[in-house]
Amino acid sequence: MDFVQTITLSALCSHLLVGLSRAMILFVVTSGMSFVLGVLRVPNVAHGSLYMIGAFAAFSISNLFGGGSTGFWLALILSPFVVALVSLIAERSLFCHLYEREHLMLLLFTFALMLILGDLVKMVWGADYRSIMAPEYFRGSVTLFDAPFPRYNLFLLVMGPLVAVGLWLFSNKTKIGKIARAAAVDREMVGAIGINVSWVFAFAFVLGCFLAGLGGALVAPTVSITIGMDHDIIIEAFLIVTIGGLGNMWGAMVGSLIFGITQSFGILFLPQFAIVFPYLAVVIILIWRPTGILKSVW
Amino acid sequence: MFKRKKMKHKLSILGFALLGCLLTVSLIMLPGSAEARNIKVGIIDCYSGPAAVYGIDALNGFKLALSEINKKGVLGKKIEWTKRDTKFKVDLALNMAKELVMREDVDVIVGTINSGAAMAVSEAIAKKEKVPFITWISKSERITGEKGHRYVFSCGENTAMAGKAGGVALSKKPYIKYWIAGDDYEYGHAIANAAWRNLKANKPEVQKIGESWWKPGEPDLVPYITAILAAKPDAVIFCTGGRSMTNIMKAVKATGMAEKVPIWIHSATDHAVLKPLGAEAPEGVLGTIDYHFYYPDIKANRDFVKKFEAAYGNPPGFPAFHGYITAYFIAEAFKKAGSLDKEKFIDALEGMKIQSPVGEIEMRVCDHQVVLPMYLGVTKREVGKNFVIATDIVTLPGDEVMPTCDEIKKARGK
Repeated sequence: MDFVQTITLSALCSHLLVGLSRAMILFVVTSGMSFVLGVLRVPNVAHGSLYMIGAFAAFSISNLFGGGSTGFWLALILSPFVVALVSLIAERSLFCHLYEREHLMLLLFTFALMLILGDLVKMVWGADYRSIMAPEYFRGSVTLFDAPFPRYNLFLLVMGPLVAVGLWLFSNKTKIGKIARAAAVDREMVGAIGINVSWVFAFAFVLGCFLAGLGGALVAPTVSITIGMDHDIIIEAFLIVTIGGLGNMWGAMVGSLIFGITQSFGILFLPQFAIVFPYLAVVIILIWRPTGILKSVW
Repeated sequence: MFKRKKMKHKLSILGFALLGCLLTVSLIMLPGSAEARNIKVGIIDCYSGPAAVYGIDALNGFKLALSEINKKGVLGKKIEWTKRDTKFKVDLALNMAKELVMREDVDVIVGTINSGAAMAVSEAIAKKEKVPFITWISKSERITGEKGHRYVFSCGENTAMAGKAGGVALSKKPYIKYWIAGDDYEYGHAIANAAWRNLKANKPEVQKIGESWWKPGEPDLVPYITAILAAKPDAVIFCTGGRSMTNIMKAVKATGMAEKVPIWIHSATDHAVLKPLGAEAPEGVLGTIDYHFYYPDIKANRDFVKKFEAAYGNPPGFPAFHGYITAYFIAEAFKKAGSLDKEKFIDALEGMKIQSPVGEIEMRVCDHQVVLPMYLGVTKREVGKNFVIATDIVTLPGDEVMPTCDEIKKARGK
């Protein structure tokens, strides 16, 4: 086939960049999920719904402020807080009573919550496709390695590492972060030294969901904002946190990079079967290291 | 002891006789009660998930038509409807269609956006239970083509029509090397096959230099576009539907693809796709669709749009148009049949002509496929509009873009 001749060094570099930008979105979403998994041991299937709410909230906030640059930045800043508020209500009213339950029970509960949130989104925003525009300076593309590369994806390449560094600083340099990490290892011991574990858990849950909302707001200018976005992301997110190592934030980063880059290279090498590549990578990794590449906190 | 047994035996016989009488009476009463009741239409479609936008639009068009039809009634009755949400799932669609036939005793089944579900319902319910089934959004040509039969009809354009419109239009362009990409499901492949088949037939020298397929709704299509551009095709055929349409249009805009290579996407000019993108939609993309609320600019269409906007607050999309004509086909067919008899209804619907917002349309006898014109256009932003529309529209008459009746017979192996 003619296209095989097009696999040049510049094409490889270009696809590496494209894969990295996709990986950054996946990382922002899965880091939150991994954080919740690590600290609370909750496999939150509704995490995708919070990502979807983040995207819809970004749409509403952007429209409220007349779109454009102001609308975009306010949407990016405020919509994760909208999701955080929703998650705080869910945590205080529902999740806080369920942490000691079995994982199967938690899976079923969060699955039910995903369905409820999906219907609520339909009731609030309707079934129409929505879209928001990135600011003028993020629109269009630049030529990198002889290929067009969307400017917005450059922004995503910056945002991913920023979130990673922010999370690392929070986990390692703040008191609440250290307590959350300690709770992930031994929640009884943290409680025994007089720390209100309930509020630590609430904070960890809200932070994880905040990241889901941020992921939704970040992805909003690149996709069709619609009901069903939650289903798309949640399978990929679970696979990523599994291959990275359950509850390990850097594992989420490694898993996202593997997922994004194998998909991008798969499209370049065998475009007809590109869908298979990331899942093939997951299978190989799970055979090689069933508990994930990095250490699982479970 | 013996007497008691005899008494019990007599009572049992009496009980059975009474039950028999009741059943006989109810059986005698049943046809009469069926004639006295309203006409009942069972709708199976997707009302949750990303495809709901199309299902709801079709339902709104159908409801608008019924509000007009029921003012006068049909055979002295009203047309009632009941709907079921298939959630874009084939198994659910089958169960719900069965329930509508068995429990709700519907006279006609209508739906759905999912081509796989439409084919399953067509084969397993409509054909088996001898209940008319009218599809209104699903586009696979196999529904009324090779898998067509007496009990299935289509009130929307199909992939054969769209593919022929695109294939013939592209054959008139100077492009030789093509890349085909799209959603990896029935609709995507069906439209790719139809477009390529017609393009190749009209211009044998064209070459397909590559294909790429993604999962429906794939959020990030930039890597696909980068790979396609690296292969340097003369033109690209995208075979996407539903929410993938918005995603591909966004990716095309973000990479500036439309300025680098000509693109044809069926339904690229659909308002449901272009509206959410606003001014962000790419210009210069060639698209086909069987309905625009702003074209043809004739009184019938203007009136339909006005009524639809008054009822639902937004202009009708192509599903609403399909829903609207479906209701009128049902009403007119029952009027012509003179009764609720399903076989008479089918006989009446075959070859029926009705007036629609785009002019007179016909339900073709040989394949039960509605003959609709296709509108070929190019996306362009017009001054004064905050969304992109189709311009330079060329109308391709329905009978020119549809497979011939001989081709249908051949496809069905007759």
